[in-house]
Amino acid sequence: MAGVTNIILIESSFLLRSGIESLVQEIPGMLIIDVFDGSEKNLFEKIKKKKPDLVIINPDSLVSSFIGFISKLQDEPEIEIIGLLKIDCPENISSRFKHKLIVSENKHVLLDSLRKICGSDGPCKKNDQGPISKREIIVLKEVVKGLTNQEVADKLFISIHTVMTHRKNITKKLGIKTVSGLMVYSLMNNIVDIKEMG
Amino acid sequence: MLIVGEMKLSDIIHHDYTLVPVINRFDIQLGFGDNIIEEICKTKNINLGFFLTILNTFHDSQYFPKEYLKSFPATVLIRYLRKAHISYVDEKIPEIKGMILRLRKLSSGNKKTLDLISDFFEGYSSEFGTHIEREEKIVYPYVLKLENSLSNPGIDKPMLEEMEKYSISNYEQDHEDIEEKLFDLKNLLIKYLHAETDESRLFEEASYLLLRELFVLEKELREHSRIEDLILVPKVEEMEKLIKARS
Repeated sequence: MAGVTNIILIESSFLLRSGIESLVQEIPGMLIIDVFDGSEKNLFEKIKKKKPDLVIINPDSLVSSFIGFISKLQDEPEIEIIGLLKIDCPENISSRFKHKLIVSENKHVLLDSLRKICGSDGPCKKNDQGPISKREIIVLKEVVKGLTNQEVADKLFISIHTVMTHRKNITKKLGIKTVSGLMVYSLMNNIVDIKEMG
Repeated sequence: MLIVGEMKLSDIIHHDYTLVPVINRFDIQLGFGDNIIEEICKTKNINLGFFLTILNTFHDSQYFPKEYLKSFPATVLIRYLRKAHISYVDEKIPEIKGMILRLRKLSSGNKKTLDLISDFFEGYSSEFGTHIEREEKIVYPYVLKLENSLSNPGIDKPMLEEMEKYSISNYEQDHEDIEEKLFDLKNLLIKYLHAETDESRLFEEASYLLLRELFVLEKELREHSRIEDLILVPKVEEMEKLIKARS
């Protein structure tokens, strides 16, 4: 398992919610991090804060305006969206989704579509395959010495944005999120020496 | 399963044995025979609504505690949360520390790595301690003050002033970094521990026990913070509202 695909589910029906959850459980590397029923206040902000890779949403569950909500979500480049739709879902709604799950499909079709969307060559897993690159190792070395993103950027003559992208990819590839965790990893794999640590 | 008062506690433990540490926090030990929950609560002088709320929240991540929320005082809840904290700090964390040390002892080629992991866990445990301390020193006393204020009639000026400065909505849930560290530790064991060295059968077994314990701790802490989010926070918001309404 390389990185984990973090999913947020927006569905008001308990039965559908449980169904999706059991489906997701069958795919290693996919994890539902939060579930909303669609009636929450400031739903978009709440979702954004959790930084999901994927949002599965049933448009029928939304209490507030669907179009406004979806366009806000679509403006987030890091988030993929899947529509959870009925077979007779009107065209003006279904056409808003690049990815769809049709609720009446059988299990294997559903699993297959989910895997295609999030599997190794799907859009959710763009950068988290394979070992970390040479460039990422250089960034990792500085990060575990305790440098801030800005300090790493200055030292390596790259932009802070580039540093952040490298860090995100390192975390996804290694499955380690905290600086102290990365430090242990780096020492374990002789990427840095204990004497280099501050 | 929805747990209700007429059920036998033994049936419930058969269904979900991870509730044993939870009932222990209510001073219920194994060996309770065929008694139903209601009877056990009566003899042990436990608030039934509260007991059911905690068991259900812990048992079912879909359960939303609403029905009994008003039926118990905050004191009871705080007492429970404190007991849970004690069991993490005094039992769980030292247990895991011991397991890491044992693993190090059994290891032939990974002693240095396990020193690193042991330091990492030390860092985790001190961060965890700081987090708990803040709850115990700031949040809980505030909640108890609110409850005390509500038990006296009339307007409580000092309390209102204190609420200006602090309210439960300030109670930031900074569990995040602690959760991430635990996640990292699991991944260090699963993906990177002894990639290139031979270790004994005993070492394998001890790694498994450690990993299992980390998963158990993770689940415990997840349910614990659900209890804080879904029971403590709404309960306190309600109390704050009542006090404000008097003024």
